[in-house]
Amino acid sequence: MTEPYAARVSGTSLLAWRNLSHDRARFVVTLVGVLFAVLLMGVELGLLLGFARTTSGLVDHTAADLWITPAGTTNVDIAGRLDERRRFEALAVPGVASVDMLMMQFAFWRKPDGGTESVSMVGFNLASGQGRPWNLVEGRVEDLQQDDAVIIDQLYAGKLGVTALGQTVEINNHRARVVGFTQGIRTFTQSPYVFATHRNAQRFTFFRPDQTTYLLVRLQAGADAAGVRAALQARLGRVDVWFAADFARAAQRYWLITTGAGSALLLAALLGLVVGIVIVGQTLYATTVDRLPEYATLRAMGAPNRYLHRVILKQAAISAVFGFSGGMLLVALVVAASAGSTVAVAMPLGLVGVLALLTLCMCALGALVSIRRITRIDPTSVFQ
Amino acid sequence: MSAVLALEQIGVVYGQGATAFTALQDISLEIEAGEMTLLLGPSGSGKTSLLQIMGCLLRPTRGRVHLFGNPLASGLAVEAMAALRLAHVGFVFQHYNLFPTLKAWENVAIALDIKAVPRSSQRQLALALLERLGLGDRAEHYPSELSGGQKQRVAIARALAGKPRILLADEPTAALDGKTGQSVAATLHGLARDEGVAVVVVSHDPRVEPFGDRVLHLEDGRLVGDRRPQRSSV
Repeated sequence: MTEPYAARVSGTSLLAWRNLSHDRARFVVTLVGVLFAVLLMGVELGLLLGFARTTSGLVDHTAADLWITPAGTTNVDIAGRLDERRRFEALAVPGVASVDMLMMQFAFWRKPDGGTESVSMVGFNLASGQGRPWNLVEGRVEDLQQDDAVIIDQLYAGKLGVTALGQTVEINNHRARVVGFTQGIRTFTQSPYVFATHRNAQRFTFFRPDQTTYLLVRLQAGADAAGVRAALQARLGRVDVWFAADFARAAQRYWLITTGAGSALLLAALLGLVVGIVIVGQTLYATTVDRLPEYATLRAMGAPNRYLHRVILKQAAISAVFGFSGGMLLVALVVAASAGSTVAVAMPLGLVGVLALLTLCMCALGALVSIRRITRIDPTSVFQ
Repeated sequence: MSAVLALEQIGVVYGQGATAFTALQDISLEIEAGEMTLLLGPSGSGKTSLLQIMGCLLRPTRGRVHLFGNPLASGLAVEAMAALRLAHVGFVFQHYNLFPTLKAWENVAIALDIKAVPRSSQRQLALALLERLGLGDRAEHYPSELSGGQKQRVAIARALAGKPRILLADEPTAALDGKTGQSVAATLHGLARDEGVAVVVVSHDPRVEPFGDRVLHLEDGRLVGDRRPQRSSV
């Protein structure tokens, strides 16, 4: 005959589960509290990560080892200009395999219906492909060779008044034609990226033919990256030379920390954590107080304090597991819904792990008041 | 017979200064294995305090407690006292103090779990104890589904689960009807006689008295009587 589950679990687990399940109303309140705390933390942290990825998306999707930027540049979306001669100076540095120009400049997009939007013009070298659009779902990157050709993201097509490939618009009063769509290339500035060849982008934005924004450096195989970077910095003088990963982090830091946008999201996530601690704390404490005579009996029977603590902590853990599961289900729905919007909620496996850990900590912290209460329990109270 | 528990000039005072209340004074006695000792006395005479001293639940203000011939340190830590209870003492309470969310066998198994008895054998041991106390068919019932007598038997089974050398019962028959009360008293007496457990029962119940091998009388915190009634059988 199969043993009942109660025979296979420890006494503390059994007591913890029964204490919760025999007071269903309170258990449901606990779970709802944990669930919404997880939802709030998950969405806010997911937004934070989504924004972080968005702010550095352009850097992350190039294969450059080093980025040369105008001095004082803090993020990839806003920068001054570099002369093309800098490219030749960079090419002369030992260890450098190639240097490509990448242009970034705000521009005005006039929609077919006459309205105007701000866009971020991205001009890249079609031959090397450094800085080219990714996740192309319609059209071909090669079509950008045409003089007026641009590629935009489907997420912003409505905003830019574009309904189909081949549609013509104006960028800074120059005629432009949409030849391709990407999927999921978001911008934090809400000025959508518009991809064109470097030459076309210069024309659209009134850059001189010898001007660009960034120089993307590929190193020769086996080159000492730090050494080449230092040599470039010394040779080029008034520019900044970044490792790609550092530049990506700088962009994230600028938009999320310097502007305060990330703090607001973190604060909301923290609020979720606090709300969760309070709800779990209150409901667990109420359950504990109801069962004080039982804890006193355990103590009289000789149970050490740690045995009683385990019961409380397991109640917290059970609440965490159920609340987390429900909360993550809702988070998954939000993540799925955000896939088609300009605001991405990212939820990689690592963040799921962090959320699970936060939920466990939240419930354990909520259990502290109850633990404190039963630690002081007087076993002689069983005789009263 | 040998003394499992010896009290030496025990005194207990609650509170301090003007509000101090003396619950026990100058109590010296020995509790023998294999005997059922009754602790009688009016309300407020100190019976419960004495039971708590015997059960390592309360530290005496004065005097010494010897367990199996070893004196207990006066400043014994709370956790050390709990360890002593776990190792040697079983309790049976007036209101059973069963865990309402656990079935009868689970209530017994909890005592085994606290003693770190392997999980794989807890259920079998608990069922065997319930069977021994005539509750084999009630193992899967919750306390709310049991009669008072059945609950008290589950409580006795739970107290016995840790194989205690000392079993302390506080008014174990007070909430039971006459026949059931007698039956529970007989069970406790059987444990002392057949298994050598030192059983101490605090009671007001005259139905229990015939089962006592020894009767101690307390009044105003003092031991005023200690006798061994003559009886043919119980």
